[in-house]
Amino acid sequence: MNIKGSPWKGSLLLLLVSNLLLSHYIHNLSSEMFSEFDKRYTHGRGFITKAINSCHTSSLATPEDKEQAQQINQKDFLSLIVSILRSWNEPLYHLVTEVRGMQEAPEAILSKAVEIEEQTKRLLEGMELIVSQVHPETKENEIYPVWSGLSSLQMADEESRLSAYYNLLHCLRRDSHKIDNYLKLLKCRIIHNNNC
Amino acid sequence: MDLWQLLLTLALAGSSDAFSGSEDSSKEPKFTKCRSPERETFSCHWTDAVYHGSKNLGPIQLFYTRRNTQEWTQEWKECPDYVSAGENSCYFNSSFTSIWIPYCIKLTSNGGTVDEKCFSVDEIVQPDPPIALNWTLLNVSLTGIHADIQVRWEAPPNADIQKGWMVLEYELQYKEVNETKWKMMDPILSTSVPVYSLKVDKEYEVRVRSKQRNSGNYGEFSEVLYVTLPQMSQFTCEEDFYFPWLLIIIFGIFGLTVMLFVFLFSKQQRIKMLILPPVPVPKIKGIDPDLFKEGKLEEVNTILAIHDSYKPEFHSDDSWVEFIELDIDEPDEKTEGSDTDRLLSSDHEKSHSNLGVKDGDSGRTSCCEPDILETDFNANDIHEGTSEVAQPQRLKGEADLLCLDQKNQNNSPYHDACPATQQPSVIQAEKNKPQPLPTEGAESTHQAAHIQLSNPSSLANNDFYAQVSDITPAGSVVLSPGQKNKAGMSQCDMHPEMVSLCQENFLMDNAYFCEADAKKCIPVAPHVKVESHIQPSFNQEDIYITTESLTTAAGRPGTAEHVPGSEMPVPDYTSIHIVQSPQGLILNATALPLPDKEFLSSCGYVSTDQLNKIMP
Repeated sequence: MNIKGSPWKGSLLLLLVSNLLLSHYIHNLSSEMFSEFDKRYTHGRGFITKAINSCHTSSLATPEDKEQAQQINQKDFLSLIVSILRSWNEPLYHLVTEVRGMQEAPEAILSKAVEIEEQTKRLLEGMELIVSQVHPETKENEIYPVWSGLSSLQMADEESRLSAYYNLLHCLRRDSHKIDNYLKLLKCRIIHNNNC
Repeated sequence: MDLWQLLLTLALAGSSDAFSGSEDSSKEPKFTKCRSPERETFSCHWTDAVYHGSKNLGPIQLFYTRRNTQEWTQEWKECPDYVSAGENSCYFNSSFTSIWIPYCIKLTSNGGTVDEKCFSVDEIVQPDPPIALNWTLLNVSLTGIHADIQVRWEAPPNADIQKGWMVLEYELQYKEVNETKWKMMDPILSTSVPVYSLKVDKEYEVRVRSKQRNSGNYGEFSEVLYVTLPQMSQFTCEEDFYFPWLLIIIFGIFGLTVMLFVFLFSKQQRIKMLILPPVPVPKIKGIDPDLFKEGKLEEVNTILAIHDSYKPEFHSDDSWVEFIELDIDEPDEKTEGSDTDRLLSSDHEKSHSNLGVKDGDSGRTSCCEPDILETDFNANDIHEGTSEVAQPQRLKGEADLLCLDQKNQNNSPYHDACPATQQPSVIQAEKNKPQPLPTEGAESTHQAAHIQLSNPSSLANNDFYAQVSDITPAGSVVLSPGQKNKAGMSQCDMHPEMVSLCQENFLMDNAYFCEADAKKCIPVAPHVKVESHIQPSFNQEDIYITTESLTTAAGRPGTAEHVPGSEMPVPDYTSIHIVQSPQGLILNATALPLPDKEFLSSCGYVSTDQLNKIMP
């Protein structure tokens, strides 16, 4: 499991596994939250085709298929994961605030949003810890994509507002799946040597 | 020209439709399914265009686009591979497949879009079926009827599990060969699972399918695995044995119901008592509870007298209450408070009287026991302060220590009870009866007597017989007619307020007072003084005064000592009741003719001189 000279001590491997579990949990919550939102507000209204706005994290050069995922090196991979997580801090915060401020705030959606926000913070801390241990030379201030969709969440027009929420939740589901997948790949690569 | 061609084409099309029969007019090609088996490639399929008899309007083309970075490129590219996935399909290899990027594809025919669809690859992931299914026997049940097996398989080979690119979950289904419905197990992430409780003599079919965790759909089922469990033992049940739970429950309930009804309606009290035991009620041996109901205290008293453990308070309560009730002709007079007070007061007295009553000597016919007197004094102390002016008079007069059998004295004058240690209680009792009616004098006296001690003595005085009140030192028995009130010296001493009470002493119908009381009444009643003189000679013997005499004397306070000869209505006899003398009673019903009258006339008691005349 451990390659000689590798900085991956046992505790870090455990931390990686724990982070993987956390990311899986977050992705499950995101999927459920999106499904509930879609079922309740936007189902059958063709929002997916209208969702021309892409996610704010699309600017990041993330691996989009297996080969790219195989080719990216471990350090960049970890930094990428950290950047994605950092970029979601603010959108999650505003998501919770806006949903909470809704008239008749949907409790199921709000509770999941709150939970996702909290767990994402924990996951970010865990990943930053791994990075600081495994790649201590990594610069602290990595640039991460900034989300600017707050104004669209507060639009007066219901259609536009629903579209903004739909897009945000769709992107959250996607990015949480990405992080979960990336950590799985890392785990199989680092711990099981590509033999999960 | 063109118009004609168009019309002709339409006519031909219409005719061809008519000839084609049930078939619809041209079907446009539509996407049937897009699928990615391993999340690295995907393919899309569509229906073939159906044209009736006419040539194709044009080749069907598929164009796709995917969102790169921030915007839709809106650059439609044509399908890279129309062949690899079969007819009417488009195959996208790994270089064209991106996972988290949405795709849109459209089908065109002759330049016109016939169908369009947007998706991301994760949504269309449908893994291949698992391979290499096998099973092993885990164990066989003791009966040899059932067995457990472990089924194993492998992930579809094109799913990259090793690198963690795909995470699959599996669903196993099984059934008996001749069954139609498959039994499903819950999804699992591992590639082996135990199947429990398969019947040994049956053959089973097992199949597994897989799905990507959290997204996509289930793939196709694997090949069916046939499981034939070897028969271990020769004797296997030919038929399934199903424990007849339902029958047992039904019969059990039926039987219980029958038994219950039998017991409930059974005349056998014994059985009934066994099943439904009666709630125990307080019961005293030998006494029928019915007696209490009807107020036959006398009988109960008799019975209770036999028992050593007899507690008189019970009777005293009843008799006391009864007497109170009897005495009250007007319901207004009866108040709870008074009853409560009486009860309270009687409680004290009861406790005290009990001490006195519990005397092993059952030979006493008189309720007047020295012990009781003493205890009564204590009781009196307690109640002293609560007495009212009018009442003490009465109480005094009525301070007979009544025996318990006063129960039958509702209508008869009370008999002697031990002296008015009970007075306070009587006072209490009569608290709310400020004005005893003369006619009820006897009854109120009864009441007072009632309130007082409950003596087990069954002697009851009435007008028709005399109670042996006491025995003179000379050995004669003294009978006391009517209501007698015996006032002990000490008792009298205990009633300082009797002095004031004495003023009304003679006003009361049933007032009794003893020498000592009279003594206290010196400032009020001159006769008291006389009494005091008399007293020493009596050696603490108490003197009783009959009701009648008192009544008479009420108007003549000063006659006590004189024993006037006025006629007084007296019972059949007169006697002197001497208390606290264990020497016996004086029965001189006829022996005291003159003195009797004298006695009677003088408030019903005899002076010392008179007594000396009478007694030897």
